[in-house]
Amino acid sequence: MPTSTDKIFSEFKEHSVAEFFKKNKQMLGFSGKTRSLTTIVHEYVTNSLDACEEAGILAQITVKIEEVDREKYRVITEDNGPGIPKKHIGKALGQMLAGTKFHRYMQQRGQQGIGASGCTMYAQITTGKPVKATSFYDKKMISCEVAVDLKTNSAVLANIVEQETDGSKCGLVVEGEFADVKYDKSSFGVFEYMKRTAMANPHAQFTLIDPTGESVTFPRTVGEIPKKAHTVLPHPLGISTNDLLDLAHRDADSTKISVFLQNKFSRISAAKVKELKDALPSVDFEKKPHELTWSDAEALVKAFTSVKWIAPETDSVIPIGKEQIEKSLQSILAPQFLSVTERPVKIYKGGVPFAVEVAIAYGGHAGRQLADKFTSDVMRFANRVPLLFDNSGCAISEAVKEVDWKRYNIKNFEEEPITLFINLASVYVPYTSAGKQAISSEEDVFAEIKYAVMEAARDLQRYLSGITRDRDKKERRKAVLRYVGQLSKDVVELAGSGKSADVEKKLMNLIETKYSTQIDDDESEIDAPKESKNGKEDEDEGEE
Amino acid sequence: MAKRSETSSKDAFAKLENLGKGMIGEIDGGETPKFSCSLRSKGNVFYDESVGYIRLGDKVEERRFVNVGQARKFMQTVAIANKCKKFLSEGAHTSIRGLFYQLKFSLGEDLDEELFSEQSESNPLIEDLEVALELKREDLNLNTDRKGVVAGPLVLKDKFGGDETEIDCTKQGRSGWMIPSDVDNGMDFVDVDADYVLVVEKDAMWQRLNEDKFWRKENCVLITPKGQASRGCRRLIKRLANKKLPVYVFTDCDAWGWYIYWAIKTGSMNLAYLANDIATPEARFIGVTMQDIKDYDFLGQLTIRAKDVDIKRAEEMLSYEWISRHKEWVNELKTVLTTKKKIEQDALQGPRLSFVGEYLREKISKKKFLP
Repeated sequence: MPTSTDKIFSEFKEHSVAEFFKKNKQMLGFSGKTRSLTTIVHEYVTNSLDACEEAGILAQITVKIEEVDREKYRVITEDNGPGIPKKHIGKALGQMLAGTKFHRYMQQRGQQGIGASGCTMYAQITTGKPVKATSFYDKKMISCEVAVDLKTNSAVLANIVEQETDGSKCGLVVEGEFADVKYDKSSFGVFEYMKRTAMANPHAQFTLIDPTGESVTFPRTVGEIPKKAHTVLPHPLGISTNDLLDLAHRDADSTKISVFLQNKFSRISAAKVKELKDALPSVDFEKKPHELTWSDAEALVKAFTSVKWIAPETDSVIPIGKEQIEKSLQSILAPQFLSVTERPVKIYKGGVPFAVEVAIAYGGHAGRQLADKFTSDVMRFANRVPLLFDNSGCAISEAVKEVDWKRYNIKNFEEEPITLFINLASVYVPYTSAGKQAISSEEDVFAEIKYAVMEAARDLQRYLSGITRDRDKKERRKAVLRYVGQLSKDVVELAGSGKSADVEKKLMNLIETKYSTQIDDDESEIDAPKESKNGKEDEDEGEE
Repeated sequence: MAKRSETSSKDAFAKLENLGKGMIGEIDGGETPKFSCSLRSKGNVFYDESVGYIRLGDKVEERRFVNVGQARKFMQTVAIANKCKKFLSEGAHTSIRGLFYQLKFSLGEDLDEELFSEQSESNPLIEDLEVALELKREDLNLNTDRKGVVAGPLVLKDKFGGDETEIDCTKQGRSGWMIPSDVDNGMDFVDVDADYVLVVEKDAMWQRLNEDKFWRKENCVLITPKGQASRGCRRLIKRLANKKLPVYVFTDCDAWGWYIYWAIKTGSMNLAYLANDIATPEARFIGVTMQDIKDYDFLGQLTIRAKDVDIKRAEEMLSYEWISRHKEWVNELKTVLTTKKKIEQDALQGPRLSFVGEYLREKISKKKFLP
């Protein structure tokens, strides 16, 4: 019997954002057991980092993972941030899409927009338990349990305890139990996520206590908090129809569309609005912004591309920084060789500024080691957030693949102890999907990544050829040294004077000096003399 | 190249020791031990018209120990030098193969390498040493195979193994005196009372002339190198020429025989570094020549077909400037190329066994030589 339309709609009405999430959790990173745990840690760590940075605090974040049962873990995240005031705890941890950062146009970590609340919900739907939050701020400590009311998408707080403190401690501790997750040390796991996050955030200190009780700390290597990102108005080039519509509908201040365009975009002046008006007689620029239709927005986006615009400001892009990356990779990978390439800010789609940073590390703990074989490691980041999943469809992976490594004397890139660290910084990262784990192949972005990797590869090539030279010298030294003993004996006997031990010592010194790897002398080696015998006339010359 | 003196083993001993002392000095001074020797490669071999033989040019190469490409060879060369010094002080001789076996040993337990593993390694280094020290391997008590026989009015004193033996080459019966590898060290000419030296290519021809008492009738020193002349044989011819005796060479009428003559006269490219000791530019060619076929009717019947190797060798010889500068020889060689004929010296026994003696006498008395 068919379900009546009425019934479907009555159920549909009741679907809140939270319900939607429950049914589509895989879209938000909750797919696969390992990945789900990584996503949980990612949400909490990102919140902590953002809160600390905003408050001007050098972050110190500890993540503890305890195994409660099979595929059931307790995750405890603690930071030294500003804490969350009582009235905001519910919104921060128990209400979807309520974050303060969702609609800002600025460079930020890869927020899903559901963040910690999503984790709360995940705890609820897998273990039936709320999460526990303890917030320290203003000489206060508040602890409570937070749950999400799935029907109304609102927070439910319980067992609230408030205490006065001496104010020496501030920060937030969130504790939750999650099932249907798994802790492992794979390249998709929490350990790898923490390690990479530490690499891209050298101003913060991270500690991970894994289910066996083992604790790993990635110490802070830089004492400066990154420059604060600031909100910028979007540039008309690079905006999608959907985003334009969204911006317009959200704008309650502008009286009409022509004003909205000037207020909410960079580089759109009254003169440009007039140009647009002339180009689009069918669009009513006098309407209220919330009256903008999809087809209006579509026509506008199309018209944007035919107008000449001043390029966007580039100061909204905040790279990690060459020195910062150097310090963190040095500390975490302790490589034999490290080179960091920082490319200048470029623009894609004509209107979105971005910058690519690449570090190449060789030897030490760079690359991955399995038994005595090495494999290279390509670490992808977008705005300092490690991208662990969807490797194959990502512009970063593709760009690395397209580099002709043989040109840089790297015979088999896949089998070298190399770590490539690649960060894309942008106000608007062109992700391939809502999962935000891969970057789409925007032509300008792809090219820029490739150039940056090639630049880094050149540096490595220079270093490696130096090693080859040194190794050559060592081999040469060895090749000559082996004959010292016999020669010393013979030359002393031949001369009828001297001591072979003395001669041996002197010859060894001589050879050590000549083939020292430190001193690079240019004395070229003469090739061994050729034995050019001419075979034509050696018949019977009494040679034998 | 400095003029070689008649080296005695004492000189060789001193030269070896000085080589070692020089190296010790270099090592004490913080330098790589080294020595230089003339290049023996083709590019440094040329015919010197002023002296009339093929010799080495001025290109000198330095051999250094502290050099990856040369270290092993350097060590080996010094080992050879040291070993030869021992032979000299002991008065013992050996062959270059014997030397190789003396030096074929492991460089040490921890080194998987022998001082020498092939004789082909040691042979060129012996030559290096000869060139560097400006002496012959025979001076280093290294023997070469003996080849060649001599008979005639020549008396030598052979100091060997503590004995002194006088050798009278008129009293060697049917076999003659076999020319030793070293005709310098401990080998003195006591008496050379001959009018000239006759070198005949083949042993069979030498036996013919020995039986005919040709050397007694003609008062000459009769030598056969038995084919291409050995170092010792060439050196003996040279020493006799130094006694102002004319040297006449008698070979087959083919490119091969003629080449034996040219090796005696101008030396060869391989032994260019010894040319001053073993080349005899004064040597003259008696025959057999292509012209002889016209001059002696019976020879026309006795020619045989030249083989491909003869033709090839003739072409090669035409390209050597020291041969092609003589038009007589160009004519001879060109005749070989056009007629594709050759005659063996044995053919001169055609009319009667002793005819060859008449032939030689006539040629020598009428001075019918080729240059």
